[in-house]
Amino acid sequence: APHVQYERLGSDVTLPCGTANWDAAVTWRVNGTDLAPDLLNGSQLVLRGLELGHSGLYACFHRDSWHLRHQVLLHVGLPPREPVLSCRSNTYPKGFYCSWHLPTPTYIPNTFNVTVLHGSKIMVCEKDPALKNRCHIRYMHLFSTIKYKVSISVSNALGHNATAITFDEFTIVKPDPPENVVARPVPSNPRRLEVTWQTPSTWPDPESFPLKFFLRYRPLILDQWQHVELSDGTAHTITDAYAGKEYIIQVAAKDNEIGTWSDWSVAAHATPWTEEPRHLTTEAQAPETTTSTTSSLAPPPTTKICDPGELGSGGGSSAPFSISVTVTLALAAAAATASSLLI
Amino acid sequence: MLACLCTVLWHLPAVPALNRTGDPGPGPSIQKTYDLTRYLEHQLRSLAGTYLNYLGPPFNEPDFNPPRLGAETLPRATVNLEVWRSLNDKLRLTQNYEAYSHLLCYLRGLNRQAATAELRRSLAHFCTSLQGLLGSIAGVMAALGYPLPQPLPGTEPTWSPDPAHSDFLQKMDDFWLLKELQTWLWRSAKDFNRLKKKMQPPAAAVTLHLEAHGF
Repeated sequence: APHVQYERLGSDVTLPCGTANWDAAVTWRVNGTDLAPDLLNGSQLVLRGLELGHSGLYACFHRDSWHLRHQVLLHVGLPPREPVLSCRSNTYPKGFYCSWHLPTPTYIPNTFNVTVLHGSKIMVCEKDPALKNRCHIRYMHLFSTIKYKVSISVSNALGHNATAITFDEFTIVKPDPPENVVARPVPSNPRRLEVTWQTPSTWPDPESFPLKFFLRYRPLILDQWQHVELSDGTAHTITDAYAGKEYIIQVAAKDNEIGTWSDWSVAAHATPWTEEPRHLTTEAQAPETTTSTTSSLAPPPTTKICDPGELGSGGGSSAPFSISVTVTLALAAAAATASSLLI
Repeated sequence: MLACLCTVLWHLPAVPALNRTGDPGPGPSIQKTYDLTRYLEHQLRSLAGTYLNYLGPPFNEPDFNPPRLGAETLPRATVNLEVWRSLNDKLRLTQNYEAYSHLLCYLRGLNRQAATAELRRSLAHFCTSLQGLLGSIAGVMAALGYPLPQPLPGTEPTWSPDPAHSDFLQKMDDFWLLKELQTWLWRSAKDFNRLKKKMQPPAAAVTLHLEAHGF
């Protein structure tokens, strides 16, 4: 079995050929490829300025008999930097989780050790079944005045590091974003959008620990968000949408009293209801008198919207003259709508 | 060790139970109590900051994490999760009432020691607000027909600074008082949320359901 060796990136290393004499005649190979003899110092292999590419299986052979004398599995890596640790309760009051990572990779295996102290009491941090860098703590008591201290130590073959954080029960509360955010146009209401969402499924007890919500929306073409804070309910109707513009809408959640806002939800898109457009056909260019069958005039809308196009069209008039008149009026209506967008 | 004399609180005049027919029920006063806890919590944030600065380091350091020594008589907000969930309304309200009664007493003691006039003013203002919260809780209890807790004869505590306590230990007591007060206010918000939900008439829930589904 090869000897496993860990060396630091950038350093120099000398690999002896097992127990061979310094002046023994040997050949070195890495991953089956011969190495140049100028790397040798006697029977020892000298590697300078180790790079990640130097990692591999090194073997030295007796030059004449090709007898394998020694093998080294070399791993080039780094000692761990201070880990980044954070804890969060998205399942208040059930518990919280802590997750960690290293700011820069070590390229070699690391082991982490997490300890959780509540005052002087040690609490169990259960490993997450799926995520390697996360563990979960269950609250035994609520409304504690004593802070929690979570410490993590990380070590690998080249070194170790550690960090710790201390916090109050209430400060780490941060729900998951609201789910299933849906925005729908409201029929016959060109400036409204109806938004609905659900409390995050991870929040265990919305009855006793109600959430409040923050809604933000803007038309795609603008950068400025509008905001609405809602103290309860999972629905809201936007009443000041710009007609005909596609909107992007997001919702965030927060416990009513403690903690911080969740991240923004997945965005919902919607465009407010607009009146069915009248089809403009080639009659618009030539003053041809054609039958009304080739132009499909929409039936007049039932709600009274201030639309000059309505006047005189009556819907489906068969006189050729009225077709061109309607076209003009429709264009005028479009212009009127554009000017009402306040852009 | 902190102790407190609060005869004036224990002898609040009994509020007669409201006439049930036609009255809106305890709902509005629960809401009012909830709102008061939020107001007090907000007020406490600035008050505590100022007071801890007055105590000086390490008390005003954000990472200050001392072991809970002394201050044994302070009413503790901390409670087992399942126990808290299963508290009946009467017990829930009683625990709140008793806690704030004691906390108010200790706060009044703090007021006597505080150095600057401004700090004393802030503390006095907060004490008045806290008194208001107590009255509000008492009103809810009366509306629900629960008796106000009375102290057992002979156990009425008297506030006096422990002569054996050093200046540092007294400051520690002050620190824990403020901490416990803040935690109680957070707990009370949750307590009153729970009470609010239980008191909500079923008709209202149905109406909300319809609205959510729109047309």
